Amino acid sequence: MSPKPASLRPILLAEDNPNDVELTLAALHSLNLANDITVVHDGAEALDFLHRRGTFTGRVSVQPAVVLLDLKMPRVDGLEVLRQIRADPALRALPIVILTSSREENDLVKGYQLGANAYVVKPVDFDEFISAVSQLGVFWALVNEPPPAPPAA
Amino acid sequence: MARFKDLPIQRKLTLLLMLTSVGVMVIMRLAFFVYEYRTFREATVRQLSILGKITADNSTAALAFGNRSDAGETLSALHAEPNVVAAALYDPAGKLFAQYPAQPAAAQLPPAPGADGYQFSPDRLAGFEPVVQAGRRLGTLYLQLDTGAILGAWLRGSLGIAILVMALAIVLAYLLSHWLQRQISRPILALADTARAVSDRRDYSVRATKLGHDELGLLTDAFNQMLTQIQEQDLALRHNERRFRALIEHSSDSISLVNSQNCILYLSPAVAAVEGYAPEELVGRNGVENTHPDDLPLLREVIAQLLASPGRSIPVVWRRRHKAGHWVWLEGTATNLLGDPAVSAIVTNYRDITERRNSETEIKRLNEDLERRVVERTAQLESANADLRRSRAVFENLFVSLPGLFLVLNPELRIVAASDAYLKATMTTRDGILGRGLFEVFPDNPDDPAATGVSNLRASLNRVIQNLAPDAMAIQKYDVRRPDGVFEERFWSPVNSPVLGADRALEYIIHRVEDVTDFVRRKSAQTNGDGSLQARLERMEAEIFQSSQRVQAANQQLEAANKELEAFSYSVSHDLRAPLRHVDGFASLLTKRAEKTLDTQSLRYLTTISGAAKQMGRLIDDLLSFSRMSRTTLRLAEVDQDALVAGIVREGNYEQSGRTIAWEIAPLPPVHADAAMLRQVWVNLIENAVKYSGKNPAPRIVIGCQSANGAAAEQVFFVRDNGVGFDMAYAGKLFGVFQRLHGPSEFEGTGIGLANIRRIIARHGGRTWADGRVGEGAVFYFSLPVKPPSP
Repeated sequence: MSPKPASLRPILLAEDNPNDVELTLAALHSLNLANDITVVHDGAEALDFLHRRGTFTGRVSVQPAVVLLDLKMPRVDGLEVLRQIRADPALRALPIVILTSSREENDLVKGYQLGANAYVVKPVDFDEFISAVSQLGVFWALVNEPPPAPPAA
Repeated sequence: MARFKDLPIQRKLTLLLMLTSVGVMVIMRLAFFVYEYRTFREATVRQLSILGKITADNSTAALAFGNRSDAGETLSALHAEPNVVAAALYDPAGKLFAQYPAQPAAAQLPPAPGADGYQFSPDRLAGFEPVVQAGRRLGTLYLQLDTGAILGAWLRGSLGIAILVMALAIVLAYLLSHWLQRQISRPILALADTARAVSDRRDYSVRATKLGHDELGLLTDAFNQMLTQIQEQDLALRHNERRFRALIEHSSDSISLVNSQNCILYLSPAVAAVEGYAPEELVGRNGVENTHPDDLPLLREVIAQLLASPGRSIPVVWRRRHKAGHWVWLEGTATNLLGDPAVSAIVTNYRDITERRNSETEIKRLNEDLERRVVERTAQLESANADLRRSRAVFENLFVSLPGLFLVLNPELRIVAASDAYLKATMTTRDGILGRGLFEVFPDNPDDPAATGVSNLRASLNRVIQNLAPDAMAIQKYDVRRPDGVFEERFWSPVNSPVLGADRALEYIIHRVEDVTDFVRRKSAQTNGDGSLQARLERMEAEIFQSSQRVQAANQQLEAANKELEAFSYSVSHDLRAPLRHVDGFASLLTKRAEKTLDTQSLRYLTTISGAAKQMGRLIDDLLSFSRMSRTTLRLAEVDQDALVAGIVREGNYEQSGRTIAWEIAPLPPVHADAAMLRQVWVNLIENAVKYSGKNPAPRIVIGCQSANGAAAEQVFFVRDNGVGFDMAYAGKLFGVFQRLHGPSEFEGTGIGLANIRRIIARHGGRTWADGRVGEGAVFYFSLPVKPPSP
């Protein structure tokens, strides 16, 4: 399989809070991106999606151009999702952006130590929020060249 | 013959031809002469015989008649022949009848006639002729001829001719030979000339001229061919020689040829570089000269060995005196090539190794020096080690004998050492506890459910590990186990101190305790004191013990509260900001969506909702940063405040929208502080000054350091503005969290900045205060201690 450009790859949003999901989608949709946006509501679901298992068994879409990852999620939290992705040879190169409310130094340090590609704190101000998410979408879905997709499992 | 051999070939050839022709001529002449002589004798005999017969015939009558005078007459007629020297007639009886000359000497005539016929005797031919008439013999005639005169005349004539002929022949032969020999000698001479030219001038390029196709021609060809070959070989030889000579003369090695008497025959030019002499200065001199006296025996031995074994090479190292007078170390190889006729010398090639030798000597000396120093150093180290071992033993002994109770732990809390007193007090043995874990050896008393010994001690040790600082514990009840397993009640007063290594890493923890069991027991036994000083003291100590226990408990509660606070702020950070974001987010979405249908009032409500949410978001952020400021550890270092303040003013870009601020910044001394926190202090103070002087048309901000009076313990810094100022009545509130003296419509802000400043300065051991008057500006001060606080 030849690598698809970032614009044809989906964006995976891992976020448990429906309000945040809605606001994030609103921000992304304002960009009119061609990419599919898949939403998962906890870390376990995110891992299922990436590994094409559970409810995502048989998923045919390529791996996402970027994963927007919340930290505080039920079942499996964001840092654990990040750790498992970076430990998996097939997923190791996946771009991961932590998108969280937490500005705690511990979270920043751990996030980068585990290999996050970026760490973005969701601003309270909605205009700033729209601006931050839009910049992320433009950069990761359009500007950035994703790693070549591994052979389909 | 030797002389003949040496004659030139021309003479030789001439001589040969002459000798040959003269020899041949002589032999022929001799043969001819013998023949002539015989012919001459026969002719003489015949002439005499004819003369006899005539005379005999003429005498017949006389005899027959016995007429002597006739006979005499007849005989005397013989005088016509002068050579007839005697004649005689004998009668038949043999008696002399007549004679000629008339009176000859009696001896000249034979007395009686002999046999007929003529006989030669020396210089005489004599014979008897019968005188016969009509077959009757009448007598005998004797004739004697003197042959000498005849022979002489004949000889004279014959020899004269012979000599004349021979003379002519020799001249002719000479002329002929002279001409003929040139045919042969010329090419030979030409060849000889060529050969002489070659040998004299060593010029192999000349060629002999070929004069004919005979053997000499072939010889010339062969000779020329030979010359060509020689010329080629000579050329090759010269090349070779030039090559070898170049090799020898350009070799950096000096090469010498010495004969068996050590006389130098040749030296290559390199000798000038090696020994300082030009080769010609040494050639002809003795090769052993100039040798270092110490090396002479060696050199002589080498020469002897070389002479004893032709063809052998012997390496040799020796010293010779340089022309400049110093000694030069030489290394070379000598080979006896006396037996090789092309060389006939002892060949030595050698080079100057003085430098190498010197550096070898130097290296050797250095090595020896090094070895000596290693030995010395080893000895020193050994002695130091021994000292160390001794002092270690001393210290170990000192340590175990200390009267106090000491226990040494490693960072893993395993027991490394213990004093004897400690072992005694805890009823343990050294072998029983060394290397074991502290709490494995000293567990809580299982029969005392209220035992806190292990947890308190562990907490204290952890603090030591964390802070690398001593930690004194309050008096502890920590029961110890007797060897029989029964626990005994004990009270201790422990202090734990870190032992740091060179890199300030924790190496050991010293745990020092005092057994205060007796004191505590006595204290509890004497509940009612007797009022004596001793009793009061002991009561006081007991109270101190109790209060220290309470302080410890409070400390632990504080730590727990701090942890809860951290968890709380984390939760605030994440959980409280999310709903605010949602409020603002959805309010904004709603505004966007319903902008056209909603009336102005409703839109204002929505804006207010958004504004309130945002303000709360900012408050939460500020609160979190304030809380973080309190918890973050200080990283103290020297801070260049001049650069810091200049950077803040430059980067702050406070003079936008046409405002001009008059800055007055005095030089500031460097301080010992946490750079990031101090930066926040200055940023907050400068931003406040800019903000609150915003309404003054000529804002002026002064930054400086108040000159401390002498050896002051602190330095005071200030920021003064000519802004709105404040009422000193509220000065106490200024530095409180979320305390503001102005509404948000007047000046933006959350009221956390000054609270942060006060917290930061307080953590540095300094103070903060302000001075101001409404409408006349404000001055904000902070101080920092000259000596930084221990963290």
